[in-house]
Amino acid sequence: MSTDIAVPYLDISDPTFAMHSDQVRDARAQHWYAKTNYGYAILRHEYVSKLLKDPRLSQGSGQWPDHNGVHSGLFYDWWTTCLLVLEGDNHHRIRRLLNPAFSPRHIEAYMPAFEALADELVDSFIDKGEFEVVNDFSEPYATRVLCILTGIPQSEWTTIARLASTIGLALSISIKDELPNIEDALAELYGYAEALIADRQANPKDDLVTKLVQANAAGDTLSDSELRNALCLLIFGGMDTTRNQIGLGLREFMRRPDQWELLAANPDLARNAVEEVMRMNPTTTWVTREAVVDLDYEDLHVPAGSTVHFFTQVSGTDPEAYPNPEMDITAERAPHYGFGGGMHHCLGHFVARMDMTIAMRILSQKMTNLRLGGTEEWLPDSANTGPVRFPIAFDKR
Amino acid sequence: MQVYVDRAKCDNHGQCTFSAPTVFRLDEQGVLQYEENVDESLRDEVEEAADVCPLQAIFIK
Ligand code: HEM
Ligand code: SF4
Repeated sequence: MSTDIAVPYLDISDPTFAMHSDQVRDARAQHWYAKTNYGYAILRHEYVSKLLKDPRLSQGSGQWPDHNGVHSGLFYDWWTTCLLVLEGDNHHRIRRLLNPAFSPRHIEAYMPAFEALADELVDSFIDKGEFEVVNDFSEPYATRVLCILTGIPQSEWTTIARLASTIGLALSISIKDELPNIEDALAELYGYAEALIADRQANPKDDLVTKLVQANAAGDTLSDSELRNALCLLIFGGMDTTRNQIGLGLREFMRRPDQWELLAANPDLARNAVEEVMRMNPTTTWVTREAVVDLDYEDLHVPAGSTVHFFTQVSGTDPEAYPNPEMDITAERAPHYGFGGGMHHCLGHFVARMDMTIAMRILSQKMTNLRLGGTEEWLPDSANTGPVRFPIAFDKR
Repeated sequence: MQVYVDRAKCDNHGQCTFSAPTVFRLDEQGVLQYEENVDESLRDEVEEAADVCPLQAIFIK
């Protein structure tokens, strides 16, 4: 390949690196991908759409424990066999058995329960004129939604939140030091999942876990351990993401009171509003892949084993795909990749889309004049982002 | 049974290929290809594919 194309460079481990920066926007304007200190970053929508689904790229985080000195044990066995890191037929088989229970047809039954939950949480602070998004709303909401979905009693949500965030330490570089805590938390979560499975096998109900227990594709079923592993993965994968995404959405609306009022007056726009905030500010700012074989695409050469990051926020604001990138909750847009894409496309996206739609609709119905109510604190604007602390003051509607 | 995929919606995620591999497949370019006339015996599989499609782009007549 000719080398006269100037390929931008991004230092993504620099603590000041941010997706919303001139550096990243300039890189996107300059070329469709950038080099980084960890492989390549795909910046433009057209190319993210194309390459994210390319079978020459694997999910790649399967080796994460090994790369960090963890080669066996309870966490290792779970992680290396869970849906997120499986590839090929092993992935497709489990994904096929899981998919139907997460389809709109089955998920819509949970709508009244999610609405009741959103109402209950909002009622707890509505007369105070202020709330802290994470503590008062998005964390209990995201966790209790998963309790409702899996059938875990909502009263146990703080335990579930603690277990999921302890297991989340496995994705940090302190995985080895934290391993005993991570394994204790995973064992406890296994306990919840195993009890649910045994109960629904004995007493089938009209719910998600029963559907998964009974899932059957041409005679093939999920074993108890496959189902247990999947339940733990979806609790793990559905909590922080939803919590963070709600916070990011509210920040977007706080900046655009006109859009908030439009939503309040037209609650049917809530679904589209969720798409719009995820396009502009996805919590998962990049989705990572690893080349299985040497991959050549136009002027990009990725050697086998190298990393490719798909920058979702950057592609979601690419002027080529979105000529009017300003927030507009009435716009019909090209799809964003905040839920990833291809065979690993988020399993729980219909759940997340529905619960966030309900949250945005109910919040906009009940409050107006949103403004910052204290000191905010945010995770870095890269990898998985969102609020740590986000106080909002408002007027009750 | 007639199967129709709305190309304007379909984003080639390939989830339908897990449910009904003899009806839906991704070609070398990663673009969805599918059968339009499908035997009635495959109805369950095709309905499952339509249910799980992330873009809800599959229609059955
Ligand atoms: C706003 C909320 C959410 C966001 C932004 C989100 C984002 C994502 C992304 C980007 C991926 C792809 C990861 C990759 O390809 O490397 C993914 C996969 C996944 N998500 Fe979500 N997610 C959300 C909510 C949920 C919920 C609520 C659940 C469960 C009910 C869930 C379960 C999963 C599972 C099991 C996978 C793995 C799928 C596979 O590998 O086949 N997610 N999610
Ligand atoms: S699952 Fe839907 S979006 Fe994906 S390839 Fe099939 S029809 Fe297209």
